[in-house]
Amino acid sequence: MSNAIETNQLTKRFGDILAVDAIDLRVGTGEIYGFLGLNGAGKTTTIRALLGMIRPSAGNVKVLGQALGPDGRGPWARVGHLVESPSAYPELSVRENLEISRRLYAKQDTRLVDKVIEQLALGSYADRKAGTLSSGNLQRLGLARALLHEPELLILDEPANGLDPAGVVEIRELLRTLAYEKGVTIFMSSHILTEVDRLATRIGIIHKGKLIEELDTHKLEQLRARHLEVQVRNLEAAQICLQSAGFKYTMKDETIILTDPHSISRPDYIAHILVNAGTAPTRLAVEQQDLEEHFLQLTSGTSLRAPLSRDEGEQSNLTPRKEGAL
Amino acid sequence: MTANFSSALWAETLKLRRSKVPLFTAIGFSMAPLFGGLFMIILKDPEAARSMGLISAKAQLAAGTAEWATLFNMLAQATAVGGAIVFGIFTAWLFGREFSDRTAKELLALPTPREAIIGAKFIVMAIWTLLLTVWCYVLGLVIGTLVDIPGWSSELLRSATVDILGAGALTIILLPFVAFFASAGKGELPPFGWLILTVVLAQVAAITGWGDWFPWAIPALFSGAVGPRSEFMGVHSYIIIIFTSLMGIAITFYWWRTVDQTR
Repeated sequence: MSNAIETNQLTKRFGDILAVDAIDLRVGTGEIYGFLGLNGAGKTTTIRALLGMIRPSAGNVKVLGQALGPDGRGPWARVGHLVESPSAYPELSVRENLEISRRLYAKQDTRLVDKVIEQLALGSYADRKAGTLSSGNLQRLGLARALLHEPELLILDEPANGLDPAGVVEIRELLRTLAYEKGVTIFMSSHILTEVDRLATRIGIIHKGKLIEELDTHKLEQLRARHLEVQVRNLEAAQICLQSAGFKYTMKDETIILTDPHSISRPDYIAHILVNAGTAPTRLAVEQQDLEEHFLQLTSGTSLRAPLSRDEGEQSNLTPRKEGAL
Repeated sequence: MTANFSSALWAETLKLRRSKVPLFTAIGFSMAPLFGGLFMIILKDPEAARSMGLISAKAQLAAGTAEWATLFNMLAQATAVGGAIVFGIFTAWLFGREFSDRTAKELLALPTPREAIIGAKFIVMAIWTLLLTVWCYVLGLVIGTLVDIPGWSSELLRSATVDILGAGALTIILLPFVAFFASAGKGELPPFGWLILTVVLAQVAAITGWGDWFPWAIPALFSGAVGPRSEFMGVHSYIIIIFTSLMGIAITFYWWRTVDQTR
């Protein structure tokens, strides 16, 4: 897979402040890459460097295989972007703002403006002045501008900002469709973990200018995986009962962990056989490992909840989010 | 590149058409011929003006006599000094608005090069301020005709046309530094500071006799504000003003091409 975005030791200093510290990013074509970080972590600086808006202090950036020039030259006809809060010329209508973008992107097809207005559900606002738009509709206008010229790569800074819950879902589905049906590569930054978690195929976590971890599909699936946790007074009897009923399990300290779909969907059945075996559960809960907890541990070195185990390698970082409990 | 430039020019023209700033600058610049006409009415018949309440009984009139030469002189000086302010405000808005509206970032990662966009802004700046100069001149002619002042001659018209349009052109030529300060200062306020500074320094330079060497004093010298321009400025003044303009254009392009854009 070729890289849509590639940075090598990308570093940016503003005087004494090290905003981005030797970041090596590789975003493959067709990926949805979530770029997570706290406020001030270096997300927007990285995005501006990817768009040639700021010059790296060290390292280099390649976008769609082209090295960015010192004067900001790059393959911008094939890249759509939304940087920080969306903005528009307030005295111009939505349509006029988009018409300016169409011309500056050197697109001849005049229907593109109408198409993207429809795509972003801006039809009823098309002739309204941008200065009168709500923040949610201004965000839609920003996204419309990013999508207008049908780019191969989208670089989006906080794309869900300002949108209402229905808008968040709508934009998520739109981005998912673009990625899966049209092969558009999406690089999106956010500090809203649930948004990134639901959309991204890979996640990079930036903290204090450093890329401190990348989570691939497998690791994300691990983080998203649900399991059933069982605690009993007579552990040995419960293990024998579950083995004889054909359930596979693992142990974390004094807790039995079941991961097969049947046990997760039927915790009542597990309770039933344990009661029949004379070892009634003292706790039975379907849990989901949590990106948020993982992120907070990485960025602050602390956990909201105590880890389940100290000796389970990577798993020890991943503590559960309660979904339902008996 | 030509297509890119025409797109950028189209965009800048649309922004100009939709804004109220051109209207306000046109109204502001109309004040020069309007007040010139008012002075002509007063100078034509001061007693009538006093009885109408146009001027106070205590007013001392030292503006000269009511004739075309006086009106043209006033227009030329207003174009040089008033133009520096009104044209400067327009240029500060044209470049600074991209930062106050936070739209500068939408002009960067585009297939249309930044040079085309900045070039289009300079063209719009030059055309609009030139139109304002012509508007001031034409309105002055209309008002002078309506007030019916004496002293018209084709020779006077020729020299006044050179004075007014020349003073306007020299004022326009100096605007690129305003564009630079609006860009580097990321808004309209820093260029306003620059405008005030240059107006004050131009006064100081003119008073101390170094006006012909100070670019921002030269348009006023050209307009005849202190006397016949042949006595107060030379070829070196034109060279300095053109060099200053080119410096301003170059530094503005350089800034947009190379400086980190963080807003």
